[in-house]
Amino acid sequence: MPSSKPTPKPTELTAPFWDAAREHRLVIQRCTACGYYNHPPVPLCDDCSSPDLAFTEVSGKGTVYTYSLMHQKNIQGFEEDIPYMTALVELDEQPNLLLMTNLPGAKPDEIKIGQPVEVEFQQFTDDIVLPQFRLANGA
Amino acid sequence: MWDSRGKVAIAGVGFSELTREASGPLGLRAMDACRNAAADAGVPLDQIDGLATYPEAPFRGAGHREGIDVVTVDYMLRHLDLAPEIRWYAQTEQGMVLSAVIEAINAVAAGACNYALVWRALHRPMGIYGSLGGTVSGPAEFTMPYGFGASFQNHSFSYQRYMSKFGAKREHMATMVVNQRANANKNPHAYFHDRKMTRDDYMNARMIADPLCLFDCDVPVEGAVAVLLTSAERARDLKNPPAYVAGYGQNTDRRPALPVYTLVNYMKSGRSIMNQIWERSGLSNKDVDVAEMYDGFAPSTFYWLESAGFCGEGEAFQFVQDGRIEIGGELPLNTNGGALSEGRLHSMGHLAEAVYQISGRAGERQVKDCNVALVTAGSPMLRGSGMLLTSEP
Repeated sequence: MPSSKPTPKPTELTAPFWDAAREHRLVIQRCTACGYYNHPPVPLCDDCSSPDLAFTEVSGKGTVYTYSLMHQKNIQGFEEDIPYMTALVELDEQPNLLLMTNLPGAKPDEIKIGQPVEVEFQQFTDDIVLPQFRLANGA
Repeated sequence: MWDSRGKVAIAGVGFSELTREASGPLGLRAMDACRNAAADAGVPLDQIDGLATYPEAPFRGAGHREGIDVVTVDYMLRHLDLAPEIRWYAQTEQGMVLSAVIEAINAVAAGACNYALVWRALHRPMGIYGSLGGTVSGPAEFTMPYGFGASFQNHSFSYQRYMSKFGAKREHMATMVVNQRANANKNPHAYFHDRKMTRDDYMNARMIADPLCLFDCDVPVEGAVAVLLTSAERARDLKNPPAYVAGYGQNTDRRPALPVYTLVNYMKSGRSIMNQIWERSGLSNKDVDVAEMYDGFAPSTFYWLESAGFCGEGEAFQFVQDGRIEIGGELPLNTNGGALSEGRLHSMGHLAEAVYQISGRAGERQVKDCNVALVTAGSPMLRGSGMLLTSEP
């Protein structure tokens, strides 16, 4: 089941994220020295430059940071999806810890900055499972 | 105050033809712009002993064919009949072309060369500007599978936050964009010189990445602009009144790990640049007669207006109303039409217009008693820069 969409080819640095996603777990690289969460994964902590980094499971809860309904055919494989939602989610664990999502199931009119969201997992290809976020019930 | 304040001037400006599609190699357009800049100053090409550019195409996956996609210093050395001895050159790898102009200012101030030619040539490829796909590794693993990767998508994200935070509406932006088109209608260089735009045109424009519509995005063109810099002493003896460099600023905020720039980055970077400009020049925003502020995407101009302190943070959408930014208004803004209506020239159009305004050569667009012109480049993030030009050293 290949995808016509841009498909992650994990590297040594990013593989633990995708390995966990395949098990429907959201993990984020965290600095063992200062506790800062780095996403995407980095070789040295963005905050304290320590190389001691480990992937940690996070709550999967956050809020909508911003969003945009994409109308342009710039990204291959999305031609049939236009217009499609793109959004950034700020995880509860840390300010400005931002993850991308398509907010599946959300109607553009009901999305607001600050709304709570929860992680879910979408089978993308045979090998790749994509973390997505859904507007939390009762939001 | 900066030691070199008023010691360097922009003495010449040159445009090539600006078109929607390429017709022949980009290098020819770049040479046209360079020859025109030298002729505008009245400096023979064989006196030019300094060269600088920022050559890169502005999107992911762009080509690097010499003379077609990019026009490097090496290309110009080969094809223009310059001074037998080139004493200084720079080809910046980061930033927009104002970074190369700043290099040239410092080179002239230091006496590294007598005349520095700086150009920016932009190729507009056929079809979709940057089609992205395939397998991705690195930070793009976390964005592209979600259909995110074009630079305008970053801007749509920031603009959405701006609108939500401050209550700005598309109607507010319409005023600025339509005003810039009216300015372009008075600018013979502008790609949209002959095409008018009404508020309805703006409000009915198709969406690109909501809330950004088509007319919030600059118009990609094939073409080039060049400027000639020299010392204030030499500039005084040349053809046109010089535009003296009173100060400049540069900044790049630390990038967020995810390849997305936020409103916070834009504002932090913009304020730093503007503070440098005021400190170096000894002038303030109250002294500015005309502002040419980067609008690769329209919301950037709001961030620049706020960074420069023309209004408070979150107030630019109201500041641009009521004729305030029109030619003849309190702060004439993007009098050439900006990148939105003149063409995507990565701030060289803004710089050229500032020189025309300062030297009293802006024709129908001329701002009365124009002695201080502010120019900025960038989003303001993504290696922003700016400078202040004055009619007196």
